[in-house]
Amino acid sequence: MQDPLFIHGVGLGVVIIAIVKVLVVFAVLLVAVMLMIWLERKVISDMQNRIGPNRAGPFGLLQSLADGIKLFFKEDLMPDRADRIVFKLAPYLTLVPAFLVFTVVPLGGVVTIAHHRVELQVADPPIGILFLLAFSSISVYGAMLAGWSSGSKYPLLGSVRASAQMISYEAAMGLSVVAVVLQTHTLSTRGIVLAQAPHFWDWGVFRTGIVPFLIFWVAATAELNRPPFDLVEGEQELVGGFNTEYSSIRFALFYLAEFMNMITMSAVMVTLFFGGPDGPGFPFLRWLWPILWFAGKTFVFLYVYVWIRAALPRLRYDHLMDLGWKRLIPISLGWLLVIAGVIISPAWGFGILGGCVVAAVVLYQALKVARRRREIEAGAAGLGRAARVAAEVQLRQLAGPHEGGAS
Amino acid sequence: MGSLDTYLPIFFMTVLGIIFAALSFVASRLLAPQRPTAAKEAPYECGIVPTHEPAHRFPVRFYLIAMIFIIFDIEIIFLFPWAIVFGDLKTFGLVEILVFAAAVFVSFVYLISNGALDWGPMKRVRPITSEVPRTTRSTVRRIGSSSGEAA
Repeated sequence: MQDPLFIHGVGLGVVIIAIVKVLVVFAVLLVAVMLMIWLERKVISDMQNRIGPNRAGPFGLLQSLADGIKLFFKEDLMPDRADRIVFKLAPYLTLVPAFLVFTVVPLGGVVTIAHHRVELQVADPPIGILFLLAFSSISVYGAMLAGWSSGSKYPLLGSVRASAQMISYEAAMGLSVVAVVLQTHTLSTRGIVLAQAPHFWDWGVFRTGIVPFLIFWVAATAELNRPPFDLVEGEQELVGGFNTEYSSIRFALFYLAEFMNMITMSAVMVTLFFGGPDGPGFPFLRWLWPILWFAGKTFVFLYVYVWIRAALPRLRYDHLMDLGWKRLIPISLGWLLVIAGVIISPAWGFGILGGCVVAAVVLYQALKVARRRREIEAGAAGLGRAARVAAEVQLRQLAGPHEGGAS
Repeated sequence: MGSLDTYLPIFFMTVLGIIFAALSFVASRLLAPQRPTAAKEAPYECGIVPTHEPAHRFPVRFYLIAMIFIIFDIEIIFLFPWAIVFGDLKTFGLVEILVFAAAVFVSFVYLISNGALDWGPMKRVRPITSEVPRTTRSTVRRIGSSSGEAA
């Protein structure tokens, strides 16, 4: 499967079409981010019984633009303890992947422009979904390096938290993507969308049994550092997280990337689980309907993100890590195997489901062992020397005969 | 027909993104005032003069998480090609991946039972050593007294 635009090689027309696609998507993304910031502020303020931005433009629509222009005129500070090169590099590492991830998202159907068949998406590499995972991981570097290079306490803490959180949820996210790939047999995003046609019950969310979608959704929220997983910028603890030391346009670019990632993740969820641009079309303006469907579905997720922010309190850090590692990863791995079993035969599916239950019991026992170990350790920390030695002995017994110094 | 042709738009997008960011910085440099002072350039600590350097060492848990993540990420990378060809491999592929998943799961259980994925501070059980009743006189530190207990 290959992008039909490039089947006859690269000519001038193809390059022009590619550039036009890039420019259009770039502009649309920027405008979408602008509107998204406005929407978030407006919806949140409605939910909190306030008015929200209403001065700049009709309904305050131009508020984000005004804020952006204002930030151009603000002093760009460089902390004297900062690592200057990395400090300047970090916004690029955050912003460019945010643009790139969106390039593989299918935005609409296939149209014919000047005898070229053009897919309405910027690029359709055969490994689209891997490209997406890879570049969403690169933005971890942006957050990590931004905090590290600031030479300041809170940004550093925020960035270490951010990277631990983002990589933790990436594993669960990857596993739920594999579940979709298992049903569609392709890594190309266009192929994944085509495999989910023509009926809505062919959508990934139903064919993979909803669970991978829920896990992907939670993991994506955590990946975006959105509430309730916004420990990265927990105001009460860390001031503003990894971008505390950034001011002026550098800060604006981080903010831009954050909202762009939010739009991209919503679009990716639509692509993987809700058929992308799939939906009933009508004879007139045949090319427009898929785009509208895609935009509509994406908008639903964007709205829900705002809604979640208004509704849910922030998690505690250990709860966050527990949710990611001890629940989402085992569940998504187990569910993936069950799907694989069901594809072969229902008997295999039920067999593996039984195996998963056994595995869950084993996991629960392991958690109990870990909790007991911690209790003993915690108790020992507050006791005298004799009691600590006794606890050590107890710990060794718990660890079994093969393991010596566990403390 | 090079297979890298498909990545041409992605290359364009990369260039455009870099140009956009660079132009923003240039514009900011031209438009924004530059009057740095020592207070502005100091690390931000809510107005408090920073006394400590930022930490150079971190709880080992973060490194542990990074290492464990690599194991899982490699597992997932193995799963992608498997998922593509699963339709052809049929039962053989399923058994293969079950063995693979079991191996990963065993190491996962080992990690969990060793508390490698536990977070948060340990709950310290401190025996109460003092019999002084907890009142404002006994617990509030006062100027002139060196200990917590009231003089």
